[in-house]
Amino acid sequence: MISDNISKQVIKYWKIFALLLFCTVLTVLAVYVDFDVEGSIAGGIFVGLTIAVFKGYLVAYNFMHLNDEKPMIYWIILVTLVFFLILLFIPVMWESTLVGKY
Amino acid sequence: MDIKIPYNEDLRPDTGLYNAKLGIWLFLASEVMLFGGLFSSYILLRAGASVWPPIGLDGQSVAHLLEETIGLATFNTVALITSSVTMVMSWVSLKMKDILKFKMYMWITISCAIIFLVVKYFEYSHKIHEGFIPAHDTYMALYFTMTGLHVLHIIGGLFVLVYFVMPNGIKMWDDEPIRFTNRIEVFGLYWHFVDLVWIFLFPVLYLLN
Repeated sequence: MISDNISKQVIKYWKIFALLLFCTVLTVLAVYVDFDVEGSIAGGIFVGLTIAVFKGYLVAYNFMHLNDEKPMIYWIILVTLVFFLILLFIPVMWESTLVGKY
Repeated sequence: MDIKIPYNEDLRPDTGLYNAKLGIWLFLASEVMLFGGLFSSYILLRAGASVWPPIGLDGQSVAHLLEETIGLATFNTVALITSSVTMVMSWVSLKMKDILKFKMYMWITISCAIIFLVVKYFEYSHKIHEGFIPAHDTYMALYFTMTGLHVLHIIGGLFVLVYFVMPNGIKMWDDEPIRFTNRIEVFGLYWHFVDLVWIFLFPVLYLLN
């Protein structure tokens, strides 16, 4: 029974691998497609980062076993994510008056 | 006197984890903040730039070189994703008590890490040869800092990978197989994190310009 479960896991890992490769190809192809609106490249950035977030989710959820972890790990990740988002966006909000000045 | 370190194999009743796993997740949390600071700098400098990548004092932008290196960076992405799946497969091999397969997957992981570093070497040399050094503009400063820090993580990981397949590292399998399997799982978490960082560095630094 245990070896059956492991065999299923192995198949899943290789499927995830194939999906990650496919997403990598998509990320590169997306560069050559025009998603942008009225002179802004925000559309392209959104598409590129969405694919990256999906790939990150696949790695974290499957390879890092976040699909089956203890609550302590989820708490550590949640607190980290909150501080990470603060770290990402506070400087931009703080300096928003300087946009276009560097 | 032989002192056994507690919770190397058994799970702590309060956390439900063995100690090394809790330790690596706390370490990864600090790593998220380390790279997070650099991504934050990237957002700040990019939002403030009128042209991206910026034009340096010599009147040149690295944009044309980036288009040339998309192929190399894609190749490196594939190498790291491959190393991630072989890393997890090496852990699965230990679960199946197949030490030969474990070694095989570990060597593939090591090869992927070396390939990544060799490609990076050519990429760096090409850019430096063309005059695009960190002082050229804010993009180049961020590029070398972020990818350089990532490369340091790959080099550090490579040493640990090699240690695990050398006689000194692998001998634990004979005496304490569960502890050795846990070590591989914990190192695997680090390695997947390094892959995860690259998954974001790749579009941010190479594609979305």
